[in-house]
Amino acid sequence: MSSNTNTISLGSTFSRGIWKENPVLRLLLGMCPTLAVTGALKPAITMSICVMFVLTCSNIVVSLMRNLLKPHLRIMMFTLTIATFVTIADLAVKAFAYEMSQTLGPYIPLIIVNCIIIGRAEACASKNNLVVSIVDAIGMSVGFALALCAVAAARELLAAGTLMDFSVMPDKFVPWAAMSMPVGAFVVLGLLLGFINAITNKSS
Amino acid sequence: MQIVKFFIQKSWLLLIAAFCFGVLLAVTNAVLSPMIEKNRIEALNQKMRHLISDANTFEPAVEGVVIADAKTTIYKGLNDANEPVGFAFVGIGSGFADKIQLVIAMDAKCQKLKGFQVLMSNETPGFGDKIKEKWFQGQFNDAPADKLQLSKSGNIEEKDDTIVSITGATISSDAVVSVFNTYIKEVKNILKKEGIIQ
Amino acid sequence: MDYIGGLIAAFISVVLINNLVLTKFLGICPYLGVSGRLDMAFGMGMAVTFVVTLAGTVTWLIDHLILMEYGLEVTRYVCFILVIAGAVQLVEMYVRKFFPSLYESFGIFLPLITTNCAILGLCLFLNLWDIQNFVKAVVLSFGAGIGFTVAICIMAAIRENLEMADVPKSIKGAPITLITAGIMTLAFLGFAGMIK
Repeated sequence: MSSNTNTISLGSTFSRGIWKENPVLRLLLGMCPTLAVTGALKPAITMSICVMFVLTCSNIVVSLMRNLLKPHLRIMMFTLTIATFVTIADLAVKAFAYEMSQTLGPYIPLIIVNCIIIGRAEACASKNNLVVSIVDAIGMSVGFALALCAVAAARELLAAGTLMDFSVMPDKFVPWAAMSMPVGAFVVLGLLLGFINAITNKSS
Repeated sequence: MQIVKFFIQKSWLLLIAAFCFGVLLAVTNAVLSPMIEKNRIEALNQKMRHLISDANTFEPAVEGVVIADAKTTIYKGLNDANEPVGFAFVGIGSGFADKIQLVIAMDAKCQKLKGFQVLMSNETPGFGDKIKEKWFQGQFNDAPADKLQLSKSGNIEEKDDTIVSITGATISSDAVVSVFNTYIKEVKNILKKEGIIQ
Repeated sequence: MDYIGGLIAAFISVVLINNLVLTKFLGICPYLGVSGRLDMAFGMGMAVTFVVTLAGTVTWLIDHLILMEYGLEVTRYVCFILVIAGAVQLVEMYVRKFFPSLYESFGIFLPLITTNCAILGLCLFLNLWDIQNFVKAVVLSFGAGIGFTVAICIMAAIRENLEMADVPKSIKGAPITLITAGIMTLAFLGFAGMIK
């Protein structure tokens, strides 16, 4: 393989996670954290960082041992790897951002059952070499982070008139409390998906 | 023997990985757990310091007391001269949707309240979560450490045993008042029994 | 009497007030995926109820008898997910062998359940809510499964009627399902405060 095709394939590996195969907006994976931790931008960003860490580490480990995997113990191996790194991420958040860990609660351990991570281990890391796996993991997590931040920004802006806890709306703005309730999460994500569909329908 | 050999052949990778991950977890835990413990205590101390502003350090006065089926610890706030300036503890009650956890403080003689802070709650945004607002919390500041009552109207500036409820969130207001009523009496009894106050 | 009353209150609260799907956002993937037809939704609900009751009970026992006893809380998540994966595997083998007709109807959902966040979520919430009583843990686990079934069946019934409605092309499918779910959470909000 020449170096030229290699760069192109790496670039497209990275970018497909952001738009063409965006895990949340196009593949509808990992909806649970997208709805649960998007009440404000800060928890959404913390969550994205955790997912990026876990996804990258699990892709590295799975890619390194891809030739040794036995078919029937494969899923077991993936779950074990993911659960270990999630525990490490959980401990790290508790140690360095205690308040955030209280806000996120059980949603950090729930990264274990986030379909994105096991899906990438199965579809990409167990078939590709180390570099491709890492690039894929970063691309996917950036896509995930973008979707999370889009929903979180809309909800925080409407529910409290702030972004990252800075007040940005005019003084006359009346906070729309429903947006920080579950209904806000569902409706904002629903409309965002509809918006994305409208764009792709028009361009095709 | 055959079975053991077969088993190891199939799962040696899993066993080695499990061992490595176990070591990894143990190391991370050993490094981070003191920090987590420190954070947990610091978070509580910060809330208590907010309530008892002249206290410098906090130390447990009575540990592991059981009030309303939940374990709690009563802390004693000490000022620079190591004199007690107040008591604080964590109280739990059921709110509108989920449990609420409050940090409650009293003065050193247990005659006046020093207000409360919300440690954990899951009340409805816009209604029940107004228990975190200053005007509501202010009513508990300097109120007598006795039985409190909830009322729909009244003067919120007046420091008496009547608490004005939040419009549209009577249950959440009631939950806070009932946590006070359950705990204050018991805590005072325990402190008296231990001989810490008269 | 008080004891039984407490258990009933816990059951109602986990089914209606703290419904895992509608207030904690757990199990959204199957909620969107298989809520297209009522009979499929019911099959999925039953399978989840079965596994969550089993997994909730076993993880509670492991958590209280082994992990907390020996200070091994750091391995909690690893243990929980292995128990769930094991339980799903066992249930699948058992059902396939002894109830072939049942396997036909909901066997296809079983492998999917491992990655259903409602199961692991419930196990974690049992720990977070600090449930000390074994019977209460079992009741809550069962209630969580019933709550999931209720939510997914209501959704399936609405979606069967939604097929006939004239929905704009771009929000057909997942978007309109999410918006409907949002309106459902508003309806379920009415149950909050029912139990003090």
